[in-house]
Amino acid sequence: MNILLHSTRKIFWALLLGPLVLRAQTPAQLPPGGLMQLQLAQPTVDVSSPVTASAVFDPPVVRVGGKTFYRVTMDAAESSIQWPETIFAPSALPLGKPARGQITQFLGNNFRSLTTFLYEVRPRAIGHFAVTNFPVIISGRPVEIPLAGLEVVAENASAPPRQLLLESSATNIFVGQPFRVRVLLPAGNGNEIEALREIQYNGDGLLTDKTTMRQSIEVVNLGGQLKPVFLCELTVTPIAAGPLTFFAQGYTAGREFTGPISIRGQVSIPGGPPKYVLLISDPVAVQVHSLPPESGRTDFTGTIGKFTLDPPQLSTNRMRVGQPVRLKVVFHGEGDLTRFVPPVPPRVHDWQIIADKSPATSYTLIPQTDETRATPAIPFSYFDPTTAKYVDLSIPPLPVTVVGEGLPVQVAVTDPENKTATPTKLSDLAPGPGKTVASLKPLQLQAWFVGVQLLPVLGLLALWQWDQRRRLLAAHPEIVRRRQARRALRREKRALAQAAAAGDAKRFVHLAANALKIAVAPHFPAHPQALVCAEVLAHLDATDQTGCAGETVRKIFAAADAQFAANVVTATNCLAWKADFDAALQKLEEKL
Amino acid sequence: MKLLRLIIFATFVFATVKNGLAADPFVQGVEFSHAGQFPEAAVAFEKSAQAVPAAGTLVNLGLAEWQRGHAGAAILAWEQARWIDPAEPRAAQNLAFAREVAQVEAPTLKWFETASTWLPPNAWVWLAGASLWLAVGLLVLPRIFGKRKSGWQQSLAALAFGVFLFGLTANVGVVSRTQLGFVLKKNAPLRLTPTETSELVATLPAGEAARMVRARGNYLFIRTATEAGWIERAQFGFVSAAR
Repeated sequence: MNILLHSTRKIFWALLLGPLVLRAQTPAQLPPGGLMQLQLAQPTVDVSSPVTASAVFDPPVVRVGGKTFYRVTMDAAESSIQWPETIFAPSALPLGKPARGQITQFLGNNFRSLTTFLYEVRPRAIGHFAVTNFPVIISGRPVEIPLAGLEVVAENASAPPRQLLLESSATNIFVGQPFRVRVLLPAGNGNEIEALREIQYNGDGLLTDKTTMRQSIEVVNLGGQLKPVFLCELTVTPIAAGPLTFFAQGYTAGREFTGPISIRGQVSIPGGPPKYVLLISDPVAVQVHSLPPESGRTDFTGTIGKFTLDPPQLSTNRMRVGQPVRLKVVFHGEGDLTRFVPPVPPRVHDWQIIADKSPATSYTLIPQTDETRATPAIPFSYFDPTTAKYVDLSIPPLPVTVVGEGLPVQVAVTDPENKTATPTKLSDLAPGPGKTVASLKPLQLQAWFVGVQLLPVLGLLALWQWDQRRRLLAAHPEIVRRRQARRALRREKRALAQAAAAGDAKRFVHLAANALKIAVAPHFPAHPQALVCAEVLAHLDATDQTGCAGETVRKIFAAADAQFAANVVTATNCLAWKADFDAALQKLEEKL
Repeated sequence: MKLLRLIIFATFVFATVKNGLAADPFVQGVEFSHAGQFPEAAVAFEKSAQAVPAAGTLVNLGLAEWQRGHAGAAILAWEQARWIDPAEPRAAQNLAFAREVAQVEAPTLKWFETASTWLPPNAWVWLAGASLWLAVGLLVLPRIFGKRKSGWQQSLAALAFGVFLFGLTANVGVVSRTQLGFVLKKNAPLRLTPTETSELVATLPAGEAARMVRARGNYLFIRTATEAGWIERAQFGFVSAAR
């Protein structure tokens, strides 16, 4: 207990006196005027020295129509120079559009700007020409640009003027399609390689990406001759459609290499101070086409090229609601991928999608509900310049299982006697499907069931109809007899036709007599076999009784009766009566 | 040789039956439930119920949905089980438990709707149809066949007609119950007008019973015990699946 009290007391005194003993840390103090000294130690930018200017033709001797450059160099900042719009030159020396550049040179203890104006000249006539001296206002003071002379001769074997070479990887491209351009500075005299500084591309509608710049010294084939060159390569993106022309410019800078550089082959680099000379290249023309209409597609992010997509990988396919998962997507492309714009995640109801910072192409997906069964498809398409078509490269959905938060399956028993009779837990699983139905839609609302209900109605109607018919026939038995007679007559007529066809006269006569009796039997009513010829004749009209029909009936009955007599009628005679018999039977049948 | 053929045949039959059972979504659902994979179980039971609606399948579907936390879907499944088989004891037990836990009320039924719950809906319609035509037949057929109507026939016809009248009211109750449904999603918005940007009238708990009054586009006008308004179709499930 005493030990504890003693320790507590020590801690109390340490806390109380500690602030008096301890001192706050202070930064290291600079000596007075140190900050100013640091600033003064840096080289100053010389703007006060008198400006000097030089003007030369490079080369000074050129043949007619040959290329030479009129180069004016001043050690002043470009912004301080009021350069005239036009320079008066002999008419035989047409000056092209000027290129201008500025470089900062280090002169041992200070910096000095150097500005160059460069005109391409192609003389039209032989002779000695000069661009006379003329004043230029620099920083408010006139500075004399000296005279520069040019000798134009008929033939000249001297080397062409030193200039840059500009090469483009493509000349037929689409707006937004990045392409590589490279500037080459061939080695000068003695195969000495010089660096290039302040490289820039002059031309409208181009976007240069200097982060992609790559410098190297290589030996390349120039006009069939292997020559070391300083090479600077970078990516350019056209941002306007139509024919575009651009050229490159840069200052030779001796051995002042800026940035990393790779050297291949054996080269010699000059010593001594650099000589800053502004060089330009010949212009390069490219044809830039507009992209075809996107026709409502929203998944095009501006990516142009040729790309492929690896199968997307999900960190897990089973997750809880709200649990983030990573979707890793890898695109492969041909050539430069610096301008690749990854797919923009869509806004979907069931998922929160967070894209990684570009240029990464991974996503964080967070399920918002457990009802979703797959990750959302992330639409994406790129433009393929080789086919001039948009290509769909959407990230496909991946099947997942999202598990939600469960509900209690059992509650604590608060009513031990279970007076409320509320179950305290869920039931077990049903062991089998149990009672089934074809559909949860009740039969009352199904159209076919209404149709089924009509069947008993139809049955009752049919029964009623049958009863009515039965009553009618009971009240009128002649209807039944006539119907039976007609049926028997049809049977006899078929037999008659068979007998006539077979030439059986005896049978024909017998059947004909029967048919006549059947035809008149319902009128009496009587059984057909009980009738005789006179009763058949009685049902013929008065004219028919004495006419052909009556005669035929008599002959038929006579022949039928004669079968039992000695005087038998010949078969041919009986069959000849068939036409008359049919006519007589027709008349009797009409009355049936 | 005969024994060998018999063994091969028995093996074939056993394999076929086993594969058939394994492919049965109901069996799969039961296996998933036992394994605690309730999302998969719910999918399997739902598939089975869509193929052949069955009371036991719907009871198990409700259990799987409850375990997933979908109280509305679970209550709907159990109500559908009771729609098919009013005497299903598990469904009744689970409904009582779920309503106690989720603090939602059972739907209030009119007397003829209550009467319609005594038998399955299709039983009522067959009963009404059979009793009607029995009564009609007993009255009409003797006359058709020219026989006298006996006393027992007339009594039976009267009884059948009485059964028909009662069955008719139960059928009206069945049709009326087809408008009953339950809120599926938790905090489902009930809106003043059938538009997505409409003013909220209330938010309904999952499993709340309501009666559909009319439909317009993707919205249903429903009436609960205390509120009335428009709800999205996807957030409301009908017991009979007739709407």
